[in-house]
Amino acid sequence: MTPFPRMQWPQVSALISALCFSLSALSLAQAQQIIVNDDVTISDIDRNRARLIFTMRINQWSDQLPVAVFVLPDDAPLHQAFAKSALGVFPYQLRQTWDRQVFSGTGQAPLQVANEAEMVQRVRQTPGAIGYVGQPLSLPGIKVVEVK
Amino acid sequence: MDLRSVLTTWILLLAVGSSIADNFTESNADQRLADQLQLHGFASQGALKTSANRFYGDSPNTSFDFTEIGLNASWRLNPRLRLAGQLLYRRAGEMSDDEPQVDFLLADITLASGDSYRVGTRIGRIKNRLGLYNETRDVPFTHPGIFLPQVVYFDKVRNLILSADGILAYTDLYQPFGLFSASLASGLPVVDTNVETAYLFGDLPGGLEPDENSWLASLWYYSQNERLKLGWSGAAVSLKFDPQQGGPLPIGPGTVDILYWIASAQYNTERWSFTTEYMAEPMRWRDFGPLRPDRDATAEGYYAQVTHRPLPKWQLMLRYEEGFADRADRDGLKLEQQTFGLIPAKATSSRILTLGLRWDLNQQWMLKTEYQRHIGNFILSEIENPDFGSFDKHWDLFAIQAAFRF
Repeated sequence: MTPFPRMQWPQVSALISALCFSLSALSLAQAQQIIVNDDVTISDIDRNRARLIFTMRINQWSDQLPVAVFVLPDDAPLHQAFAKSALGVFPYQLRQTWDRQVFSGTGQAPLQVANEAEMVQRVRQTPGAIGYVGQPLSLPGIKVVEVK
Repeated sequence: MDLRSVLTTWILLLAVGSSIADNFTESNADQRLADQLQLHGFASQGALKTSANRFYGDSPNTSFDFTEIGLNASWRLNPRLRLAGQLLYRRAGEMSDDEPQVDFLLADITLASGDSYRVGTRIGRIKNRLGLYNETRDVPFTHPGIFLPQVVYFDKVRNLILSADGILAYTDLYQPFGLFSASLASGLPVVDTNVETAYLFGDLPGGLEPDENSWLASLWYYSQNERLKLGWSGAAVSLKFDPQQGGPLPIGPGTVDILYWIASAQYNTERWSFTTEYMAEPMRWRDFGPLRPDRDATAEGYYAQVTHRPLPKWQLMLRYEEGFADRADRDGLKLEQQTFGLIPAKATSSRILTLGLRWDLNQQWMLKTEYQRHIGNFILSEIENPDFGSFDKHWDLFAIQAAFRF
């Protein structure tokens, strides 16, 4: 028996994918946070439900409170990172979905804010609001929601 | 209209539109109302040149007769009730009416909803959910090329399937393995002279009208992350011809029954989208008299389209499509014989190769350019090209388009 057996290709590829997985987990960990207005009675949200909310398909919280969705412009790096890693969709897909709804009369688009500061302010002021930020924050009137 | 008056018209309309929008979004007086009432709009101007045959105006000599302007409002009164409407002004050579139309105007009522479902109804003028693109076919931002694949989304008869005045019931199911959406609608289609000319092979003395309500149904599946979209959608339309009294031709009060359906599939990755759709349209002509004997035919069209996004703001598109007026007579020789050469074989099929480039300068502005190589004339409008005999079978199209949205 050799002390250092030669690694077979399946083991190498397993190692590589494990490495990739931990790298992507790392980037997820330091990524975006979903924030909601204080009156929204949730503490966590699963990715599918978050996607349904940000694609404007669910427009009511479980307690019937209307949802108000806030997003940054399409080309904002935070928006792109949020779409891809938190929602698991590409930004162009979100734009397609919103456009189809707006221009066919079957739904609405999210409310667009110019930057993160405005995002925080609007989510804080608007009942039922949901949005996202790049850094963890703790502010009165706003709750950070964990994406499960 | 010359280019200058076209430009002036739409710059003016845009100015009005965006100032209304600004007033709503910038007013702090009632932020809540501004959040619930959304105003959007778009405008586009195209220019096109064909080597032969007329398409969207006098294209052999470069046509600017291709303008699309839309203004829409959507007001969510509460989570259960939303009102929405859109005005559309569209110029498309001789295929358009040249005046603003109510594109849709509807009330959307959510009857029941939960975390995993939504059931609702829409009442009013409703855009028909046919294929991936019909609902937003006039909005340049919602599809990769300048022109939709004509063998599936004929611009010459767009009105027949565009929208319906009636009622629609829908249900959406949100499941762990994806999203299901089904709809069923009934209503009156809007028929114009384009439809009449295309389905009667000429502008006959009299009018073609809806015989009864159309029925429309659609069934869609989206995978959870919307990488995969699969759909089936269809419309059943009945038209009746009302001949002009004492007209020059003995044409009877005939009927045309049409079933039009599309099967759709799309797969999306970050850089690539693969799209294919198949359309079949069984048609039945009855009781038009001896000049137009009873006839059955099934038109068919399909395409495969690849879009590539090498950079976030750039998109390349390659598409191949084929369409036939009658799939039992793909080369059109039987119809040519039956009509004693009146409808030449080349007018009954189209094979089109398209190359397109799209550049989104920013969220508001977009430029597109497109080249098409055509064999056959099936997709051309009979109104724009009344003399079927003078069709050029092999022809090219080059087009550019600028579009703005807010």
